[in-house]
Amino acid sequence: MNELELKKLWQITNDKLEESFVIHKKNTDDITQVKVYNILGSMKPIKIFTLLVGILWVGIGVIALSSIYLNSFSEANRFFLFSASIQMGLTAMALFIYLYQLITIYQVDITDPILRTQEQLVSLKMSTLWVNRILFLQLPVWTTFWWNETMLTDWGILQWVVTLFFTISFTFISIWLFINIKYENRNKKWFRLIFRGKEWIPLMKSMELLDQVEDYKKQNTSA
Amino acid sequence: MDRQKQQQFFQEIIEQHKGILFKVARTYCPNVDDRQDLIQEIMIQIWQSIHKYNDQYKISTWLYRISLNVAISFYRKSSTRTQKHTFLNEQVVEVPAEDKSEDEQKLNLLEQFIRELKEIDKALMILYLDDKSHTEIAEILGMSVSNVGTKIGRIKDKLRTRFSQLMS
Repeated sequence: MNELELKKLWQITNDKLEESFVIHKKNTDDITQVKVYNILGSMKPIKIFTLLVGILWVGIGVIALSSIYLNSFSEANRFFLFSASIQMGLTAMALFIYLYQLITIYQVDITDPILRTQEQLVSLKMSTLWVNRILFLQLPVWTTFWWNETMLTDWGILQWVVTLFFTISFTFISIWLFINIKYENRNKKWFRLIFRGKEWIPLMKSMELLDQVEDYKKQNTSA
Repeated sequence: MDRQKQQQFFQEIIEQHKGILFKVARTYCPNVDDRQDLIQEIMIQIWQSIHKYNDQYKISTWLYRISLNVAISFYRKSSTRTQKHTFLNEQVVEVPAEDKSEDEQKLNLLEQFIRELKEIDKALMILYLDDKSHTEIAEILGMSVSNVGTKIGRIKDKLRTRFSQLMS
């Protein structure tokens, strides 16, 4: 079958179907009454809420920790203080990602060319990976929050071995995941194990789409 | 443009170019119920972008951009879609063609081939079959004209192979 014949067939069939495809005037009227609704737009409130709660959390944390650093550093439990500081710093980094996502949501224009819009949407989705990397990076500090100076004097070897085992393992795992959770590893078994389940489907699909966008862009550059 | 004019403009473009919405939805959504949701989603996006319409582009270019962007990105989240506007669904009526001729079979083969393509290739294929010029395809997709030619050439090769396999 030649392509002209195919094109003609496609067009005739679509014209025929189009004639029988009815959109009532009431539909278009109803749509003009819908107030700012779109799926991307629906992400804005949750992002803004998370950002505000995060700013509040980090703000309170920074005030509390600064006060300890400035006024009672010598009496403070340093393990707790340093763990909390690291946790606070990482949360602040995650907030920057949320801010980036919010800005991108406002910038995405559905009337732009397909490759540009899709690239923005994919990078928005992919930034979720960064949030996860940072979340994993917090793992070791959850094992050191409760440490205190009496451990140094009162603990036996077994207690130290168990505690250090967890802290060192968590540190290793978190750094490894931080380095390796990236787009390039999307097809690895361990990656698919972490990001399996319904809630990750859009992310995995975005990665597949990124391949296509990259492919088109590559050819655009070489063309 | 005031609201009343926007509404009138919206109704006109939907009526005149409903074929674009229908074609895109039909290509990206084999399921009729899902298709109606997608058409509705596209219409909402067109209405919400109408104030941004720039007449330096052909209206069909603008509509294709919105329709394809919605179909590719938003519709992939089918599991998270809300039922907010289902009141519109039942009123969008689609009557499928009944003819089951040889041409219809060939068309089915073509549609099956398109459905198996990746998202952006699908968009390219619709535009190609719609006889859009390479320049207009480049404007809709946001790529160079020469790249459009290369890509279409590759898809046509695949299509030819597929058809010769299935017809033999």
